[in-house]
Amino acid sequence: MNIFKDLYNWVDERVKLEDLIKFLGKKYVPVHRNSVWYYFGGVSLFFFIIQVVTGILLLFYYKGSADLAFESIQFIMSKVQFGWLIRSIHAWSANLFILAVFIHMFSVYFEKSYRNPREMTWVSGMLMFFLALGFGFSGYLLPWNELAFFATKVGSDIAGAIPLIGEPLKIFIRGGEEVTGATLSRLFGFHVALLPGIFTVLLALHLLLVQRQGMSSPLKVEALKESEKKTMPFFPNFLLRDLLLWLIILNVLAFLAVFFPSELGRKADLFASAPAGIKPEWYFLFMFQTLKYIPGHLLIFEGEVVGVLIFMVAGILWLLVPFWDTKSSKGQENRLINYLGLFAVIFIIVLTILGWIS
Amino acid sequence: MKTLLLCIMVCVESGILSNALAAEDQCFICHESLGSTEAELYKKDIHFKKGISCSGCHGGNSQSEDMDASMSKNAGFKGVMKGDDISLACAKCHSDKEVMKKYGSNLPTDQFEFLQKSVHGKLSTTGKERIVQCITCHNAHGIVTVNNQASPVYPLNAPKTCSKCHSNAVYMRSYNPSLPIDQYEKYLTSYHGILNRKGDSKTAECASCHGSHEILSVKDVNSKVYPINLPATCSHCHSDAEYMKMYKIPTDQFKKYSTSVHGVALLQKHDVGAPACNSCHGNHAATPPGVESISKVCGTCHALNAELFSSSPHKRAFDQQNLPECETCHGNHEIIVASDKLLGVTPEAVCSRCHSNEKNQKGYNAAKFMRVLIDSLTSQEIHSKDLVDQAEQKGMEIAEAKFKLRDINQAKLEARTMVHSFNEAKYKEVVDKGFAVTTFVSTEAQAAVDEFYFRRYGLVVSVLLISLLALSLFLYIKRIEAKK
Repeated sequence: MNIFKDLYNWVDERVKLEDLIKFLGKKYVPVHRNSVWYYFGGVSLFFFIIQVVTGILLLFYYKGSADLAFESIQFIMSKVQFGWLIRSIHAWSANLFILAVFIHMFSVYFEKSYRNPREMTWVSGMLMFFLALGFGFSGYLLPWNELAFFATKVGSDIAGAIPLIGEPLKIFIRGGEEVTGATLSRLFGFHVALLPGIFTVLLALHLLLVQRQGMSSPLKVEALKESEKKTMPFFPNFLLRDLLLWLIILNVLAFLAVFFPSELGRKADLFASAPAGIKPEWYFLFMFQTLKYIPGHLLIFEGEVVGVLIFMVAGILWLLVPFWDTKSSKGQENRLINYLGLFAVIFIIVLTILGWIS
Repeated sequence: MKTLLLCIMVCVESGILSNALAAEDQCFICHESLGSTEAELYKKDIHFKKGISCSGCHGGNSQSEDMDASMSKNAGFKGVMKGDDISLACAKCHSDKEVMKKYGSNLPTDQFEFLQKSVHGKLSTTGKERIVQCITCHNAHGIVTVNNQASPVYPLNAPKTCSKCHSNAVYMRSYNPSLPIDQYEKYLTSYHGILNRKGDSKTAECASCHGSHEILSVKDVNSKVYPINLPATCSHCHSDAEYMKMYKIPTDQFKKYSTSVHGVALLQKHDVGAPACNSCHGNHAATPPGVESISKVCGTCHALNAELFSSSPHKRAFDQQNLPECETCHGNHEIIVASDKLLGVTPEAVCSRCHSNEKNQKGYNAAKFMRVLIDSLTSQEIHSKDLVDQAEQKGMEIAEAKFKLRDINQAKLEARTMVHSFNEAKYKEVVDKGFAVTTFVSTEAQAAVDEFYFRRYGLVVSVLLISLLALSLFLYIKRIEAKK
């Protein structure tokens, strides 16, 4: 034990750890009936850490070219020691990461935690949410299997429907007119270099802001007298609870990876016809299903273009909610925000289920 | 009244009536008097006998003695017709049921329609007419019924008639340079051709297989000689016991062939690469292959088997006993799928027909040994497949081992070929390749199955450890929160 103490003292002499511990010791987390939602930020962070660690391990064997990608995953799944476990955890964690981010984002939204002075925290979080979807889209193609190939084709086609920038954007994503080996190389680059780089910067900013500004309390809790407000020390109580939840999640991940290992399917064939029932990943399903319901033409506009535009506008409005919801910033109840949020949740759940069963 | 009718019938029968009508036919009278060959030929023509005047085909007024009036355009005179006008003139009556009935004919009335759709109905090199007109085969003025020995399409004459064009290299290359022109030569060497030359009109000639007016290219799926249709065409005669009675040959070839590996491939799977009757017997030179040439005939497709057999000890033994090579073990028309059961010394194995523990013992032992080898490989293959299935059902990634399973089948296929060498060492070498694959596949699949259970046990251990850690943490949190 003395070794650890000596080591701590050695570091403390140089970087003044004592100050940091004092800072953490002064940091408190509000305790109220909705405190449980605070944990989803930490859960999202845990999934991201898992993604980074398993992703780096996969990189040791993965080969990002159309000729070798599928075979390298096959090799990881069958020959590499615990390769199957790493890949399955990476795949499951990716899905649960996005689910956790969804929950975290909606909990912050309904609690109006984005209100002044946390606008930057919200915007950085939303940008990370979009990047998480980008991680999902780019990572889905990497096994270079049949489903991934056609889902990427459909997904990039939808991106191509955006007015003005659609076509150049589609070509940028695909690395050409069609989904080919060039698309794989490109999305591989996005997945392991570009997106993680931007994400890390945003994450650092996000965490810094959270530490600097502390956890936001709901309006009703904030209105209470100081003596009526309950809190919990961030260190060690909240952090240890976070750790406890992470351990439980680790168990769930291990269970999913063993009983439902990630499948590989058949290698992508550029000249094969698309198999029936091609669907994107579940987190894109509500948008995909909505576009299917929109008629081919709406007045003089193409239905798909209108649909994509609506989603884009909705996304921008969602991103900028701290700036147009001025009532919440003033500490007033804004029911419209609740109704819009409720509508969004129901819409996403219903459309996802419809997309799943169709 | 009865007497009058009888007189008319006798007159018709003897041609008196037709002569009487001809007497009224000014065209015929005039042309005959001029010594016209056409008029001479026409006297023997079936149409002349039916009382059809020259104007029936050439138009004009045959009743008029005035040449200008009888051959005037107003009277519909067409003169010597050219190109498609010839066939159209024939079709005017021969495609009309009522007209044909009037002349007491029961000939089909679709010949012209068939001719137009046939390969002969295509446009000629001039682009103005069809390649073949009715008179090309039937002649013009001396037309007789197909049953008349003088007819160019009478069975004994048909080959020669067809060969007028089909053996003419210069003519044929204008239409189909790749089509051989030796069919007639070959036909003369065939059993059909020999019998035909001997005057047997029942034997197959060109029209028997290709049809007459409805002849289609051999590449046309509707052609009677398209590979899938050919066995049925041959069996039309060869499966007719009554028709074939005088030739004293079996009539069950088609029945046997239909259930054979070749017949199933061609007739059921529609694999046009599979052999039809002509693949072994030849087509225009059709004749059964002799004992000495059977392996050569089969060897045109089964080249490696034939080569291995020819260099095997069996070659000399078969030659000495005058046994047909491939046929002795595999049969001819009823060839079944060659399974491993043919090999060995069990009652159903063909080796045991000649080899036993007492007689030809060396071959008996070799057959026994080879059968044991291939049976062991099959058994190993089943075991490997079973393990691969088990691993797959457990969701394990086993694609490489599964792919390798094909190599076992490949080794078995090679073994079935190598068996024709009747050489134990060579046979074992091929089967050993299969054993090497089964060992690899079984090891991989077993490892995958073991890995599956390892994962389950590993999960239990890791869940226990993580849960223990979580519980400790939970208790620690409780403890520090209780202190406050």
